[in-house]
Amino acid sequence: MIRTRNLWITVLLLWSLAPLLWQLYTSFCSNESLIHTFATHQHRWTLENYRQVLTANPPFWRYLLNSAFVGISSTGLTLLLAIPAAYSLVKVPQNFARGARLFLLGAALFPYVLLFLALLEIARSLNLGNNLLALSFPYAALSMPLAVLLLSSAFRDLPSEIEEAARLEGLGLWQRLRWVLIPLIGPATASTAILVFLFSWNEYPIALTWISTTDLLTLPVAIARIAGSSVYSIPYGAYAAATVLGSLPLLLLVIIFQRQIVSGLTQGAIKG
Amino acid sequence: MIQLLLLPAALLIALIFGIPLLRYLWLSFHADSVITSLVAIPNNGANWFRLFNDQRFWQDTYQTARFAFVSVSLEIFLALGIALLLDQRWRGRGVVRAITLLPWALPTTVMALGWRWIFNTPNGPIEQFAKLIGLQHLYGLQDLNILANPSLTWLATVVGDVWKTTPFVALILLAGLQTIPNDLYEAFDLEGGKPCAGLFKITLPLLQPYLLLGLLFRLAQAFGVFDLIQVMTGGGPASSTESLALYAYLNAMRFLDFGYSATVMIASFLLLVFICLFGWLVIHQTKHFREVVK
Repeated sequence: MIRTRNLWITVLLLWSLAPLLWQLYTSFCSNESLIHTFATHQHRWTLENYRQVLTANPPFWRYLLNSAFVGISSTGLTLLLAIPAAYSLVKVPQNFARGARLFLLGAALFPYVLLFLALLEIARSLNLGNNLLALSFPYAALSMPLAVLLLSSAFRDLPSEIEEAARLEGLGLWQRLRWVLIPLIGPATASTAILVFLFSWNEYPIALTWISTTDLLTLPVAIARIAGSSVYSIPYGAYAAATVLGSLPLLLLVIIFQRQIVSGLTQGAIKG
Repeated sequence: MIQLLLLPAALLIALIFGIPLLRYLWLSFHADSVITSLVAIPNNGANWFRLFNDQRFWQDTYQTARFAFVSVSLEIFLALGIALLLDQRWRGRGVVRAITLLPWALPTTVMALGWRWIFNTPNGPIEQFAKLIGLQHLYGLQDLNILANPSLTWLATVVGDVWKTTPFVALILLAGLQTIPNDLYEAFDLEGGKPCAGLFKITLPLLQPYLLLGLLFRLAQAFGVFDLIQVMTGGGPASSTESLALYAYLNAMRFLDFGYSATVMIASFLLLVFICLFGWLVIHQTKHFREVVK
């Protein structure tokens, strides 16, 4: 019984990690040795791929910074709008709130890639193209349904006596939110924040159409550009180095915030 | 007063979701392309007539549906296994859960690029391995040519999608498993039920709402698949992996035909709504789901 379980755990780990480990392996291989995968070569191991990626113009970490910037600004904007909305969703009449939740669930299901063309038109007419900060508006809107659902279920779970007591102490609405309620939904806020950040970090079609300046590309677009750069001779070593460097920050995030991600995803699924 | 707090979020959602849909609806009844110098001119529904006679659109609809149904069914099946494994108590479970989650957290484009190298002909590991065991002789070929063989390429994109999104489904199912009280299984054991029968008699029926929820979420996402296909295959070979979203994208960004692109998007959206409504009706048949959603 335990033996078969260990077997399945091994299979699961292999399935999840093998493609990543293959990229890691490739990133340290010289291009000659890649052409003959299973043959032995004298000059097999190299750091050349990393040197190439990191000294390119602009260097690779530039894209990481861009993505981090977009991720943080989108997360901030989302929370700023979602927390009040989630709170008020608990206070409004039940029928209205139920309708709003269904609507939000529908919006969360919406395949947002279909929006890119009209969003591009909006960006052009408002002159928001090639502006990293402007990207946080569509990103915040696209994460808003899930964020409001998660946060309002956290507000709903708080015992109403707490807010009642704060009100009797003479605290106004903003004071109650600022000093009592928001600190209490800290865990849900953390889950929401990390999910929004991941979404913004990974988003592709909107960033692809809004950003064209090389210096401002976010990581997913920069990676995809490498893929489109040369169809015939593709520098797979450099590719792999780029994918490894692009995965590392997320590897760290997943390890550090595993608990928040899991609870955010599952709460979103159950209470939505 | 309290309702006012909803306003900013609602406005932003209306702006980003609502305006595009209205704009598409309007655009779909206009010619707006290079031929009209990118000025919208009403064309009496010509876009829609073109859509109904557009072989490529229906081909892409079929391909998108095929991709969505095959990958989502595989994901649900694998995710159920993973969730059952992660639901048991064993040492190191947290670490394994984090590692399982990793494929989901990475940007799709990053691993789409990775898959291109893994499925590369002739140097990628899959091709080398196939050669080692002589798989290509089965087809009478020199190489499998996975990314250049229309009957295999779409399967490669399914692999990429299943690898990335199974963890998401597994987590939803895991959350469902954890709501099932252990007493049920103990009672079942006392009654002399076989362990495997417990899976079908207790687990699956109680898990049904979560299975359907995961199914609905994933179907909607898979139906709009774009990133993976665009980077991994570009829709090729010979448009054999092209999805509806990619077709709409190409119409707008490559053929610069915004009117028709908007028509394709509205049509894809309607198709998806149709599928989801169907799914929703099925879900609402199950009583338990209503209790969960409340």
